[in-house]
Amino acid sequence: MSDVGQGKIILPTKITRDSVINIRALLSHPMLTGMSRDQAGIPIPAYFVNDVVITYGGEQVAHFEWSSGISRDPFVGFSLRADKEAPVTITWKDNKGGVYTQSADIKFGVA
Amino acid sequence: MRNPLSRRTFLKSSALAVAALAASSTGAAAAPLFAGPGNEPDDDVKKVLREKFGTRVIREGHVTLDVPDVAPDSREVPLLIESDLPMTADNFVKGFHIVVDHNPDIYLAGFNFTAAIGAATLDTRIKMRRSSHVRVIAETSKGELWTTSRFVYTSLNGCV
Repeated sequence: MSDVGQGKIILPTKITRDSVINIRALLSHPMLTGMSRDQAGIPIPAYFVNDVVITYGGEQVAHFEWSSGISRDPFVGFSLRADKEAPVTITWKDNKGGVYTQSADIKFGVA
Repeated sequence: MRNPLSRRTFLKSSALAVAALAASSTGAAAAPLFAGPGNEPDDDVKKVLREKFGTRVIREGHVTLDVPDVAPDSREVPLLIESDLPMTADNFVKGFHIVVDHNPDIYLAGFNFTAAIGAATLDTRIKMRRSSHVRVIAETSKGELWTTSRFVYTSLNGCV
């Protein structure tokens, strides 16, 4: 992933009502700490995602606060009780004002 | 710069060892399975914990941290955090806090949850500047704090 801000949400292939599922989310982002320098010795400014909000059916279920200590192309896996058919939306915000959003629909009874 | 036996490192680790001894003699800290050199947080870490949690008591237990003992790539150290605390509407895990003693940002990240998530698990990847304790603090909706820590050896500076 090379373009900054490409988000991806991975849901289990089969979801049953009221089960606790594992959701994985990935964003392409350099996550620069501001401590490194380029080849000319000029410091590279900090550039990282510091705020992640997760909603399920429009309701906020989780909120993450990050420093630049989270790895490049930040990955996060978490649980969610699938009690309704509704979209899961993740919004990542970085320290330079970038906002990236990705959604995935939770649906029951496939296969 | 990163000589593992520099005077400062040596003094720091001996200070930590003394602190750990003092802690164990009072019977306060239960020894984790893989503690590495001295489990006691140093003053910088204590300051961060105090700013974040005030004077609330942080006890060991109820939270597990799965992390490699030796991280081959310190730019991407995988963490898996789980807790056996209840996850009901009126008593749930409100958040996980990740603290890495020797990173520039000691308080690395906070993950806040609501009861809607159903289970307190978290999977992510972090950067580490050098070998250090990695601590996780689980905060419940009732304000209890539970912690665990693991010592992770790294080879290269991963703070890019």
